[in-house]
Amino acid sequence: MTAAGGDERPAGARMPRIAVLGNPNTGKTTLFNSLCGVRARTANFPGSTVEGRVGTHRSPSGAAELELMDLPGTYSLSIDVPESQVCRDSLRGALDGRAPDAMLVVVDATNLRRNLQFAAQALAHRLPAVVALNMWDAAKARTPSVDPAELARRLGCPVVPVSGRTGEGMPALDVALDTVTTLPFGNDALVARLQKLPAADASPAALAAWADGVARAVAGPPPESAGDALVDRIDVALTHPFLGIAVFAVTMAALFSAIFMVASVPMDLIDLLFGSAAEAVRARLPEGILAELVADGIVAGIGGVLVFLPQICLLFFLLSLLEDSGYLARAAFAVDRVMRRFGLAGPSFVPLLSSHACALPGIMSTRLIRDDRERLATILVAPFMSCSARLPVYVLLIGILSVGRPAWFAGAAFVGCYALGAAAGLLTALLARRTILRGPGRALVLELPPYRVPSLRNAFLTTWDRANVFLRNAGTTILAISVVMWWLSAFPRAAEGDERAQQASSFAGQLGEAVQPAFAPLGFDSQLTVGVLTSFLAREVFVSTMGVLAGAGTDADPGDDSVLERVASMPRADGTPVFDETTTAAALVFFVLAMQCLPTLAVTRRETGSWKWPAIQLGWMTAVAYAAALATHAAVAALNGAP
Amino acid sequence: MSAASDEPGATVRIPLTQLQRGQRAIVHCADIADLPEGDRCLLHAMGMHHECQIRVCSPGTPCIVQIDSTRLGISAEVARRILVTPIDDAGAAR
Repeated sequence: MTAAGGDERPAGARMPRIAVLGNPNTGKTTLFNSLCGVRARTANFPGSTVEGRVGTHRSPSGAAELELMDLPGTYSLSIDVPESQVCRDSLRGALDGRAPDAMLVVVDATNLRRNLQFAAQALAHRLPAVVALNMWDAAKARTPSVDPAELARRLGCPVVPVSGRTGEGMPALDVALDTVTTLPFGNDALVARLQKLPAADASPAALAAWADGVARAVAGPPPESAGDALVDRIDVALTHPFLGIAVFAVTMAALFSAIFMVASVPMDLIDLLFGSAAEAVRARLPEGILAELVADGIVAGIGGVLVFLPQICLLFFLLSLLEDSGYLARAAFAVDRVMRRFGLAGPSFVPLLSSHACALPGIMSTRLIRDDRERLATILVAPFMSCSARLPVYVLLIGILSVGRPAWFAGAAFVGCYALGAAAGLLTALLARRTILRGPGRALVLELPPYRVPSLRNAFLTTWDRANVFLRNAGTTILAISVVMWWLSAFPRAAEGDERAQQASSFAGQLGEAVQPAFAPLGFDSQLTVGVLTSFLAREVFVSTMGVLAGAGTDADPGDDSVLERVASMPRADGTPVFDETTTAAALVFFVLAMQCLPTLAVTRRETGSWKWPAIQLGWMTAVAYAAALATHAAVAALNGAP
Repeated sequence: MSAASDEPGATVRIPLTQLQRGQRAIVHCADIADLPEGDRCLLHAMGMHHECQIRVCSPGTPCIVQIDSTRLGISAEVARRILVTPIDDAGAAR
């Protein structure tokens, strides 16, 4: 058998594919990033929520190109977890119909015993292989060090000591990868290799005994794990039931404050840039449908996609730094006992907290969660968390409710909104885990990686990758939906310049009139119903819609007192105020709980690979919001002594 | 699950959760019978196999143990089911 590729393959032939495998926390991703840089993209595997990355590696001479497939890290190739299944499927070509031409098995040189067990399972496959003895910089400082030549002899394949962090040994790895895909790999080589390895059906104990024997032969007896008292003390503090959670809360508060503060500048700039671009389009194109389509549909739609990018990039950059530092695993461990009460896992906390900034990056960050059911439950409830887009709505409605009330009322109402969203999310998770997502959670056995200085390069590459995923997938859906929503609110045409008449006569307006009876029990009239429907694209649109309907213009700012007064005094058809106390309270509760965000549905579709979950999310959240708003309406009416 | 054997000469087996910080012990994975198969296999693959030596970094429930150079955080429900034999600094069972 001859491995594919190399310099001798004919023009147009596929690049040789190399599967990159290894235990988690072996520096596999750092090594992959060193080999591929930005020439990599996230790859989803059919039928699995686990993902990997595919990249192109060019040899230093530029003569050969290899396709590297970074498979998810797993502790064994024979356990029943998605990561292991994806690796097994990939090695036998069941993922996309093409088996790899060779393997790069990444082994942590500082933890040989455990890593060699995985290496033995991987090397039992009929593929040429190279073993990268990663973290060599740390391993060679130990006494005794590892003997790579002896290890190669015992594994029956080339072993290259490397350090993905420092770049040490990378040229040798380049040569080994080029060679492994060009040299013949026949039965003799395979048989010779298999004779050195434990039997394919070896028990875990036999595998462990073999790995121990090889490790002793190449690196001497295991060092007495003297332990590090300082690391022990830090671990005790960071995973303490109270102190650990307090440290996590402070860390997350700092992280999201940073995201809010730093991201607001580029977000405002993007907003300004696309606002100006839309104006420029209107000025240059003849007045009419085309100008409106380009300015209000396409340009506004692209702006509506890009405006989320700063928060997404910052979140993933900072999370990557935290994960790389070794802290995130400790934090997940600390909050696990709290999250378990609601059927979620410790790592669910980060996406839920992220969703308070924006549900989009929150849902995208659920990839930290290993268990499928816990991940889906987290995705399902993430939009219940009060995101920044709800703030303008809260400002408007709480502002109306606060008139004539003591100063503390507004603050308490804001806290109440955030608490209501979080409570609804956690209770929904509990319900989901006992019904549609029933099943045991994964018992928490978590590797706590060593503390280290995080890699900026890794953080940048992760951020680049996440931004690309967002723009390529969710972004295109969001843009298409934006254009459709523009069409619904722009047609049929009303008198030129009369925005209020346009709102009322558009398909969206007509839809508002048609569905108003359904919202009547909440006290919503047709104007408020139009506001609810148009804000289905994004919650903050509610403020501008109500501003238009109240005659304040599309640039309505909820912080502007005149806008607040105009909206607060909007009359119904019978002359009574739209925003009476009962209706305003019901509308506030509705917006806290309702799924009024199409981009979130698009991202849920992308992350779950099915429209089923966004449909459940939309249906459940709308039902909960409606029921809670109805109860609020009745309760406030009863308190006010209404009949 | 019994915390210790009563047979004369048998080594003491106690739940992992009863070890103190810094204490070392030998794991008896054969005794983790009531854990789901998947969790047992994962524990094995993560390095906690029969007769491996551990050191307790953070005791209690949940706990953190060290195997070779790897630190594992283990939830209370799993840690309670793992029986170990404490050893002294010379490596002898106590």
